[in-house]
Amino acid sequence: MSKVSVTGLTKEFGDLTVLKDVSFEVNKGEFLCIVGPTGCGKTTFLNLLAKLIPATKGTIYIDNEEADPKKHNISFVFQEPSSLPWRTVKDNIAYGMQVKKIPPAEMEARLEKVIDLVGLSDCINLYPNEISASMEQRVAIARAFATNPDLLLMDEPYGQLDLKLRFYLEDELIRIWTESKNTVIFITHNIEESVYLADRILVLSNKPTTVKQEVLVDLPRPRNILDPEFSRIRNQVTDLIKWW
Amino acid sequence: MAISKIENKTAVKIALLEFLRSKYILYAISLILFIIFWDISAKMNGRFLPRPWAVLMELINGINEPIAGKILIVHLWYSLKRVFIAYAIAIAIGIPIGLLMGYSKLINAWIKPIFDLFKPMPPIAWISLAILWFGIGETSKVFIIVLGAIVPVILNSMNGIRLIDPSLYHAIRMLGGNSRQEILEVTLPASLPAIFAGLQISLSMAWTTVVAAELMGAREGMGFIIIRGMSVSNPAMIVGGMLVIAVTAWLLSVLMTLLERRICPWKTELEH
Ligand SMILES: Nc1ncnc2c1ncn2[C@@H]1O[C@H](COP(=O)(O)OP(=O)(O)O)[C@@H](O)[C@H]1O
Ligand SMILES: [Mg+2]
Repeated sequence: MSKVSVTGLTKEFGDLTVLKDVSFEVNKGEFLCIVGPTGCGKTTFLNLLAKLIPATKGTIYIDNEEADPKKHNISFVFQEPSSLPWRTVKDNIAYGMQVKKIPPAEMEARLEKVIDLVGLSDCINLYPNEISASMEQRVAIARAFATNPDLLLMDEPYGQLDLKLRFYLEDELIRIWTESKNTVIFITHNIEESVYLADRILVLSNKPTTVKQEVLVDLPRPRNILDPEFSRIRNQVTDLIKWW
Repeated sequence: MAISKIENKTAVKIALLEFLRSKYILYAISLILFIIFWDISAKMNGRFLPRPWAVLMELINGINEPIAGKILIVHLWYSLKRVFIAYAIAIAIGIPIGLLMGYSKLINAWIKPIFDLFKPMPPIAWISLAILWFGIGETSKVFIIVLGAIVPVILNSMNGIRLIDPSLYHAIRMLGGNSRQEILEVTLPASLPAIFAGLQISLSMAWTTVVAAELMGAREGMGFIIIRGMSVSNPAMIVGGMLVIAVTAWLLSVLMTLLERRICPWKTELEH
């Protein structure tokens, strides 16, 4: 059963063709990583999927219908900071739940859990301009987790974080995903990260962008980066993108 | 023993240096030096430049001694009243126009050429027309002040809407927000600081303009005090009036800053 199905997706900005006739499916409950060169259109793809910008050609369906954030329970962790400057850390994280009218008691419980998860308990009352880039990114991550999305879109979410925090949040993401059985589309630059997380990796080409190849990662979790099979897949992906 | 004495001495020295470097001490020194310089210049040229002391006495006199039938504070009140009336009008008209211009390219295209034509004209250039149209009473003064005060209100309200980061709208939309929530959660708060900055500029613009308008003909107000000082050859009255004008302008801007901190706490948090 496919959660997301993309058919013949093309996106042009004026003369610039960014995505050209891209088609693929994402299964329900799948963890999909997308890797591709900078500027190939990864962010553009997620924006199309979320219906934030219109496609030039082609279709994207979520649960066999047009994506609609008011109907589908989607969360999007943007690449760029996107917290609301006039809301404190806590109120930013709570906002999605407020929109979705989660009962207050349930909301408080979830808030406490996600805030603790991303390690922001000490700064819940600060405004975004008072915290670091890494902390702001964690606000976005917590905000996305808090609404228990069916479909979680993450655009290079861990790029701003230091190594230790990244490893920790990768494991937490896998834990949350295993528990909730949601579908995750995770964009990254980091090949090791993609092999560590994904059920399947889509490797994109340069512009005009198509799916260059799919790589299945059929390894048990938690994964061991020292496992020879892990290295083999990592090298395979690395070879695929050597030509960027 | 000896060492700790030396250490103490350096500690005192450092403390003294820190003290001298502190912003407020420097402010005070700068002001005192200015007043001394002023006093010396006035002593050498006493006929046209009053000494600080004389200005202070003049101001103290003004507390209960009427100038042209009204004490100083009443003159100040007249000027302030004109400013507040005109300011309220400028806000009531300017913010909606600016917001509409920021919101709709079409409306912007209609209003912008006219706005750009009038924008660079100094408000005081309207005085003759204003007097022809409205007489020399309050209306013409308020009219001129509105012209001066409305420009920054419109400009900043327009830019406040235009310069909103679209990713904020995206964030709200992805969290399931509807268009009403987009306006309440993004458009309003995001444009507030810019609008507020416009209101601040506008208020100081209004204050400048009222004095200019009163210089051109009034029976009361701070501009009148200055003209009066000239016609009775009392430089202390002129400089006293100037001081009151300056201090009032400063107080108004402090007031606006405090208000902004209340209304947009997320903007100023870093500065305190
Ligand atoms: N709104 C836009 N208008 C014009 N060009 C755009 C726009 N958004 C993205 N692009 C271009 O599309 C390409 C893909 O951008 P993006 O999706 O951000 O890449 P990635 O996320 O893979 O690094 C880039 O060349 C970028 O310059
Ligand atoms: Mg990107």
